[in-house]
Amino acid sequence: MAISQEEHLKELSKGYRFDWKDADHSVFQPKRGLSAEVVEEISSLKGEPDWMRKYRLKALKHFEARPMPWWGADLSDIDFENIFYFIRSTEKQAKNWEDLPDDIRGTWDKLGIPEAEKKYLGGVSAQYESEVVYHKIKKELDDIGVLFTDMDSALRDYPDLVREHFGTLIPANDNKFAALNTAVWSGGSFIYVPPGVQVDIPLQAYFRINAENMGQFERTLIIADEGSYVHYVEGCSAPIYSSDSLHSAVVEIKAMKGARVRYTTIQNWSTNVYNLVTKRAAAHEDAVMEWVDGNIGSKVTMKYPSIYLLGKGARGEVLSVAFAGKGMHTDAGGKAIHAAPYTTSVITSKSVSKDGGRTGYRGLVRVEPDAHHARSNVRCDALILDDESRSDTYPYIEVEDETAALGHEATVSKVGEDQLFYLMSRGLSEVEATAMIVNGFIEPITRELPMEYAVELNRLIELQMEGSVG
Amino acid sequence: MSTATTRTFDEHTLQSLPEVAPFLAAARARSFEEFRALPAPSPETEEWRYTDLSDFDLSFEPAAVGHPAMTTSNQDLEALGVLFCDLDEAAVQHPDLVREHLHGLVPTGRTKFTALHGAFRAGGTFLYVPRDVRVELPLQTLTHLDADGTAVFPHTVLIAAEGSDVTFIDRFTSRDLQRALSDAIAEIYVGDGARVRYASIQEWGTGVTHLGVQRATVGRDAELRSLAIGFGASLARAEAETVLDGQGGFSEMLGIFFADGAQHFDHRSVQDHVAPDCTSTLLYKGALRDASRAVFSGWVHVRPGAQKTDAMQTSRNLVLSEHAKADSIPNLEIEANDVRCGHAASVGPVDDETLFYLESRGIPRDEAERLIVTGFFQEVLDRVSLAEVRRGAELAIQEELGRTEEVGSG
Repeated sequence: MAISQEEHLKELSKGYRFDWKDADHSVFQPKRGLSAEVVEEISSLKGEPDWMRKYRLKALKHFEARPMPWWGADLSDIDFENIFYFIRSTEKQAKNWEDLPDDIRGTWDKLGIPEAEKKYLGGVSAQYESEVVYHKIKKELDDIGVLFTDMDSALRDYPDLVREHFGTLIPANDNKFAALNTAVWSGGSFIYVPPGVQVDIPLQAYFRINAENMGQFERTLIIADEGSYVHYVEGCSAPIYSSDSLHSAVVEIKAMKGARVRYTTIQNWSTNVYNLVTKRAAAHEDAVMEWVDGNIGSKVTMKYPSIYLLGKGARGEVLSVAFAGKGMHTDAGGKAIHAAPYTTSVITSKSVSKDGGRTGYRGLVRVEPDAHHARSNVRCDALILDDESRSDTYPYIEVEDETAALGHEATVSKVGEDQLFYLMSRGLSEVEATAMIVNGFIEPITRELPMEYAVELNRLIELQMEGSVG
Repeated sequence: MSTATTRTFDEHTLQSLPEVAPFLAAARARSFEEFRALPAPSPETEEWRYTDLSDFDLSFEPAAVGHPAMTTSNQDLEALGVLFCDLDEAAVQHPDLVREHLHGLVPTGRTKFTALHGAFRAGGTFLYVPRDVRVELPLQTLTHLDADGTAVFPHTVLIAAEGSDVTFIDRFTSRDLQRALSDAIAEIYVGDGARVRYASIQEWGTGVTHLGVQRATVGRDAELRSLAIGFGASLARAEAETVLDGQGGFSEMLGIFFADGAQHFDHRSVQDHVAPDCTSTLLYKGALRDASRAVFSGWVHVRPGAQKTDAMQTSRNLVLSEHAKADSIPNLEIEANDVRCGHAASVGPVDDETLFYLESRGIPRDEAERLIVTGFFQEVLDRVSLAEVRRGAELAIQEELGRTEEVGSG
C-alpha cells in the first residue's frame, strides 16, 4: 500500500486514517436541498434521454410520498434540505491519473488506488463526490468485450442495455432510499460480461466523499451473461465532519444461467456518514451469487444485500462483517429468496461492537411455494467487547414448501478471558491480544477476500481496537 | 349460559354484568373506554404481521368462565393459608391482593383485546401461596366452553410468595363450534426463592379463536418452569413472556404444538433479562400438517447491567405436508457484554436419511414417519416433570398422527 510503516503508525494514533480534506473543486456552485428543479438540473447537466428524466421525477414523487422506515436505526437527524445532491468536481473524466487536479490525485495516491491498479486489478473506477473522475479497464478485457464503465457513460454509450435492465430488480418505489437514489443518482459502475468470459482479476470501484453534507448516490448495474465470472470490489471513505453526509446507493446484479458474480465491499465511511444502501441480485439457473460485505465505518448503516434465486440450482452466499464503535449503529444482514427448486443459500454474519456501538443482523430467508428442495443455513455470531455496547439479531425465516430445510443459529458472547490470558502470557498487550481474537473471529470472512483486502480489513480492525479496552 | 339473541360488546352488555366490587366496576369502565379507543391490531405492525385480525367480527356473547377446581389434596391448604378461588370472589374477600396484582403484569391497554378482556371478564382463577408453603399436588382450572357464539375471558392470577412452591395447570377445552372467542390472560408472580410450574393446555375445538397473553415475573433465585401445549382452536395466538428481574432467577419455557387442517398458530415469546446472573431457556417444537400455518417469533432481551446472563432460545418446526407453512423469527437484543446467548431455529421435513434407514429395516413408511415425529417431540416431553401432563401430550400427539393416513407423507 502507499502508506509507509511510519505513516501507518502515525495514522494509527489518530484513529480514522482517511480523514483529510481537499480544497473545493466543484466546477459550478452546488446547491443544498432537493426539489424537482434539482432533479431536472442533474438530468440536464448529464444530457440524459427523456425517459430517464421522467423516471427520476417519478422516483422523486415516490420518495416524497413514502414515510421514513419505522424500523432499524434512528434516522431522525437526517436533514434532507441540508444535503448537496450533486457536485461535479472535474470537467471531464480522466484516463490517466496525471490528468487529475493535484490534490484529487493526491487523495487517490493516499488511498493506494493507482498502485493497486498496477498490481492486481483488471479495471478501476474512481468516484469523487457525484461523478467518476478516473476510469480505466485493462485492454485485454476491453478486447474480449467486457464492458466496464461508469453508469453515466453507460447510459450514453449503451442506452438499450441500460434501459432494458435499469430498475428492474430494484424498482423506483422499492423503498424510500431506493426512490431517492433513483431520483438523483449519479456515477456508479456498469459492467457487462459476455457469455463464457471469465474475468479472473477483480474490477474495482472506489467512492470518495470530500465535501461536508455531501449526498452520494451512485448507481451500479452488473450483468454477467451465461457462464461468465466476475469479481467486483468496492471501497469507500470520507473525511470527518461535524455534520452529516448521506450515501445512498442502489446496486442491481444479474447472474445469468451458470454465471458467477462475487461482489465485495469494504465500507469505511467516516462516522458522520449515513449509509443507506439497497443491493439486490438475481441468480438464474445454476448461477452463483456471492456478497462479501464488510462494514467497518459510517455513523449509521442499514444494508441487507439480497439474492433472488430464480433458476433451478442457483446458489447464493452472503458473508457479512459488521463493526460498530462509539456513536455507530451498523444494521446489516442479508436476504435469500428461494423462488426455484434445488436452490441453496448460506448467510454468515460476524459482528463486533465496542465503546457503546450497536451492531445488528437483520435477515430474511424465504422459500416460495414451488421452490422445492431448497436448502438454507444462516449463522450469526456477535462479539460484544464492553458493557456499553449492544448487539441485536432479527432473523426472519418464512417457508411455504414442505421439502425445504432451513436452519438458523446465532451466538452472542464476549472475548474469552482464557484466550486473552493465554495470549497475554505469551507477551501480547491486551489490545494486541483482543485485536488478534477479533481477527480470528472474523476469519471465516476475511479468508474469502483477496489477500490485499483481507490485510486491509484486519488492519482496520486493529485500528478500531486501538485505544480501546480498559 | 343465556340463549338469548347474540349481544355484542356494547355499553348495554357491560351494564348487565354482575357487580362484583366497586374497584372492579371502575376498572371495567376504564377498560371499556380503552377498548373503544384502541384500533384493531394492524398486520402492518411487527407484532401482528402474521395474524390479521383487522376485520375480526366481534359479535359474541360474553360468558363467565369455569370455577377453579381443587383436585383432591393431601394437605389442608386452607389451613396453610393457600387461597385458591374464583377471581371475582377473591376481589371481594381479598381486595388489596387483587387490586395490586390484577392487570399488574398485563395492563388492559396493551391491545384492543386485552382492553376487551378488562371490560368483560367474569370469573377466573386466583391462586395465592403464602411464604414458604409448599403445595404438593398440582392445582388446576378447567375452562370449558360449549355454547356457540360465546366469548370467554379466562384469567389466572398466580402469586407465589417468597420461598413457596406450587404447580398449576390451566386447561381449555370445548367441542367443535361454529365460532367462539377465548381472550385469555395469565399473570404469574414468582417471589424470591419461589418455585412455580405452570402449564397451559389448549384443547379448544375448531371454530374457536384463542388469544392468550401470559406474563410472569421471576424474583431473586426463583424459578419458573412453564409449558404451553397447543393442539386446538382454529386460530391460536399465544404470547408467553417471562421477566427475570431478580438476581439468579431461572426460567424454562417449553412449547409443543401440532397443527392440522387450516389451523393458524402464532406463538410469541419474550425472555427479558433485567437482573444479572439469570438463566433462561426456551424450546418450542411443533409439527404441521395439511394447510396449517405456524409462526414462532421469540425475543431475548438482555438489559444493560444484566451481566452473566445465560439465555437460549430454540424453535424447531417439522413440516409434514405440502401446503403447510412455517415461519420462525428468533430475535436477540443484547445490551450487556458478559453473556452467553444463543438461538437456533429450523424448519424442515422429516429427514430423508432417517426415513430411509427405518424403511431399510423393514418398517413401513407410515410407521417410520410416526416414529420420527414421536422422537421429535420426545426432547420436549422428556423435560416435562408432570407425569399426567406428559402422558396427555403423548396421547394427543399419537391421536394427531393417527389421522395422517389420508394425508400421506407429502
